[in-house]
Amino acid sequence: MLIPHPSLGPRDAEEFTYLGDSRLLDRPDPNAPDAESAFCDYVFLRDNPAGVHRELWFHEQGDRSWLVVTRDTVTHQVLGAEMARDVALARKGSGA
Amino acid sequence: MSELRPITALGAVLPRFGSFGALEIRENAAMALASLALRFGTVEPMPFGLILPGPGRWVAGQGVAALWTGPGQWMIEAECCIELDFAAELKQAAPRCSVTEQTDGWVAFEIISRAGAIPLEALLSKLVNIDPADFGPGRATRTGLQHMSCFVVRRGDTHVVVLGARSSAGSLWDALETAAKRLEEKVT
Repeated sequence: MLIPHPSLGPRDAEEFTYLGDSRLLDRPDPNAPDAESAFCDYVFLRDNPAGVHRELWFHEQGDRSWLVVTRDTVTHQVLGAEMARDVALARKGSGA
Repeated sequence: MSELRPITALGAVLPRFGSFGALEIRENAAMALASLALRFGTVEPMPFGLILPGPGRWVAGQGVAALWTGPGQWMIEAECCIELDFAAELKQAAPRCSVTEQTDGWVAFEIISRAGAIPLEALLSKLVNIDPADFGPGRATRTGLQHMSCFVVRRGDTHVVVLGARSSAGSLWDALETAAKRLEEKVT
């Protein structure tokens, strides 16, 4: 499986380690009144879709960047990859 | 006072050298290394006059060179001053960046072909997951080499350097030597 790294081009998936659902980027506010239940969901609850999934991959044997990879879990087709930093900053900027 | 004698990454007094058909592999024990990282909001410096390279690239200047290691991060190498504090010199040249001494963390093996690029590319094809067609002079990348994370830099058409962790210098030499020997056997 090849992962299209945004700055290095296609790289073998063996160079990466997989973390999981990219919703991990949306860490709840620890000071919110419902923080405990929000963190419970954040830590333990995951969707497990058969189809398109956005997930975090770490380029461990590479430039050591975190990527958000969009992958079809049924076909293993990789539909795109973005720098996780850019995704997180864009979300922060949009206030979402 | 004890008499302390420096040894190379492979534990010897002199750097190791091996010749395998058209290829020679030489331990480079005279290279000083320091990493350079941009801090948030700082502009890219030009240490020692080097224009820092973009992703997947390496540039050489007068006795110094830089390779891109990650977003906003580079490794700077110097051929001159292993006995000096190169990180301090780099910090002076790029005072607003984070600089970390790296010299003793790495081992460098220079691989040179005496018969053009083909033996070198054959060796790379055996060892690393890099497309040789897209790995001309000035390209550099970090990748896995027999489960060791290494930087591979194409210094020239017939010249590559592999930078690996100093603690696994012996395993890395063994990997390079074994692959080069098998190529040599295949040719003869």
